[in-house]
Amino acid sequence: MRHRTIEDRYPPLRDYALIGDGRTAALVSRDGSVDWWCLPNLDSPSIFGAVLDADRGGRFVLHPEGVVEARRRYLPDTNVLETTFTTATGRVRVTDAMTLPGLGLAPFRELARRVEGLDGRVAIRWRIEPRFGYGLAPTRIEPRTPFPVASSGGTAIAACTWQAGRVDCDRAGIAGGFEARAGTRATLAVSAAHGEPLVLPARADVEQRIDATAEFWRSWSTRLSYTGPWRDAVVRSALALKLLVFAPSGAIAAAPTTSLPELIGGERNWDYRFSWIRDASFMLESLLQLGCQAEAKAFFWWFMHATQRTLPRVNVFYRLDGGTHAPERTLPLAGYRESRPVRVGNGAADQLQLDTYGELVDAVYQYVQKGHPLGRDTGRDIARIADFVCVHWREPDSGIWEVRSEPRHHTHSKAMCWVALDRAVRLARAGRVPPGHAARWASEAAAIRRFVDERCWSDAKGSHVWYAGGEHLDASLLLLAIMRYDPPDSPRLRATVDAVRRELAAGPLLQRYTGDDGLAGGEGAFACCSFWLVEALAILGRRPDAERLMSDLVALANDVGLYAEEVEPTTGAFLGNFPQGLVHLALISAAIAMHGAAG
Amino acid sequence: MSVWGALAGGFLGTLVLTTALSAGSQLGLTRMDVPFLLGTACTDDRARARVYGYALHFLAGLAFALVYYAAFVVLGRAGWALGLAFGLAHALFSGTTLVNVLLPAVHPRMGTPSSAADSSPLLEAPGFMLLNYGRATPVLTMLAHMAYGAIVGAFVAGSAR
Repeated sequence: MRHRTIEDRYPPLRDYALIGDGRTAALVSRDGSVDWWCLPNLDSPSIFGAVLDADRGGRFVLHPEGVVEARRRYLPDTNVLETTFTTATGRVRVTDAMTLPGLGLAPFRELARRVEGLDGRVAIRWRIEPRFGYGLAPTRIEPRTPFPVASSGGTAIAACTWQAGRVDCDRAGIAGGFEARAGTRATLAVSAAHGEPLVLPARADVEQRIDATAEFWRSWSTRLSYTGPWRDAVVRSALALKLLVFAPSGAIAAAPTTSLPELIGGERNWDYRFSWIRDASFMLESLLQLGCQAEAKAFFWWFMHATQRTLPRVNVFYRLDGGTHAPERTLPLAGYRESRPVRVGNGAADQLQLDTYGELVDAVYQYVQKGHPLGRDTGRDIARIADFVCVHWREPDSGIWEVRSEPRHHTHSKAMCWVALDRAVRLARAGRVPPGHAARWASEAAAIRRFVDERCWSDAKGSHVWYAGGEHLDASLLLLAIMRYDPPDSPRLRATVDAVRRELAAGPLLQRYTGDDGLAGGEGAFACCSFWLVEALAILGRRPDAERLMSDLVALANDVGLYAEEVEPTTGAFLGNFPQGLVHLALISAAIAMHGAAG
Repeated sequence: MSVWGALAGGFLGTLVLTTALSAGSQLGLTRMDVPFLLGTACTDDRARARVYGYALHFLAGLAFALVYYAAFVVLGRAGWALGLAFGLAHALFSGTTLVNVLLPAVHPRMGTPSSAADSSPLLEAPGFMLLNYGRATPVLTMLAHMAYGAIVGAFVAGSAR
């Protein structure tokens, strides 16, 4: 099963699809290999990590022999993946699901794969190579009855198979093979346990859970209230985001992966399995607009609860369980296509990123605007945050892009500080936040605006710039339109949007910025920025332009409608962690803005 | 020596035993989960199973404390060291017979060597000395039961004064 070239050993990121159950998620490649799965949770160590190290990472391969074509889709309006393989001798359909427990005693986690013969005969080989602890922990594989078990420490899996051929175990894995004929059905399930005995499911129960899981997702999708343009892309994005919602806490991970590179062979490899407060504003607006009230409420309470530990200072991100400790370390893995280092944890946790405060307070403001109550304690917390912003907005920070160069006075950060104080004043006027310091907030907001007008504008560029005194542009300036820092008819805002497009565009895509960020090498175009441009154009009233761009961008998704963090502009290859929540949020937000503009 | 001392020791001992095994599980040393094992004998609902399981485990802890008490009375002496020895014997009995043989025999969702095609066991059986739940499980189980026995022994001896 080993291939020779690095491109063959590591499928393009475009070839992956995501399945999940609200606690953990797995990447399934087009050729039938599960190359990423963390147990028991999204942010736990991987058991299948071949996407980061094809030799040591571990995988679950289910591979029809002699494939000439593989077509796949999610079952409509679900997160259940269906891949149809055509070979010279027949066709076979594989359905992959991370099942939901439902009623009865179900495995702690369960990855289920159903193989149905459609035409002719197709030889199928499968092999499970569990590698606990990112491939670094000792793994013990035992040929037990009724199913083989692999374990390491407190985590174990059982390879439960039915009609999938004779099962062989060796020190490295559990394998089998069978022939799928028209009308036959085989079932393979990986039952996982963590800190408890394994649940060994009956075949009928696995089959029932696959169907019930698909039904749950269909039911969830029908609750989405969006009826505007690009509905299919919006629904797919919502389904992808739902897979990033960590159900036990309500937190939303930025992506389910770590260290998928922003440049092949480069060092820009980060762990995104945390919940960024920055995404809160986009997330809440999107969830509320889509009618996902339960998820919006859970997320709101999660981030207000998580930030309690650090208020009035707000961390850049929090662990999915609300914790703050996320030390960055590197793993001795080869990396995707030898892109090293492979990092877990994230050093950006220690950075000052002032824009976070604006996005947090704006999220609270939106939540209240939608009629949700705000407790007195939360109101006091918002007042403390506003006071904190008054004291700290003059400091340089690392900004939205978490650059690892020296802190600067980022224009976007200052503007978001203004947003924090503006929304705090509005909330105070509405009686939701103690108004005692409102006059100071208004006064400091005015000072921020003067700073941005005087120090963050370049006459030479005719535009706002990335940071005070610089001449570079960055795509976060588009958020000045989206976050309503300036009104749509502001000449400076319109000039800035035009300048950003002029200088950062690469086809329909946008680069994040020009200029040094403290890291070696370049990167692809940042997909979310391109959707921000769509939204900014819609807000400025340039709807035809925005529509054309939106159509181009929607076409850049992979065959199952997912986006990575970045897209290589010339080849369309995906780069960075996959799928990235912020991109899907930006897509939803852009579509909603277009729909609103049309209305 | 008094029954009340035995019951108080049984309660505290079970608390320590449960906490020790739970800590072992959190530390990734074992997948032994006594409340889960006991509770799933009553229900297939995970949340309820844990609640029932904790209740059953504490009842069992009190019952075993009474057995220990009877043994102390027969021997005419009690103390933490003797309780420790009882605990070791208790752990060996649990690992080889009670949880390994008797629990699967009565647990409706756990397989045994005699399970046939007409049954669909759901739960992983513990195996000899509970080794299926991790290599450190026998040691942890023994230490936890020895602590339980020592506490019961100390309480029974203390209640005599």
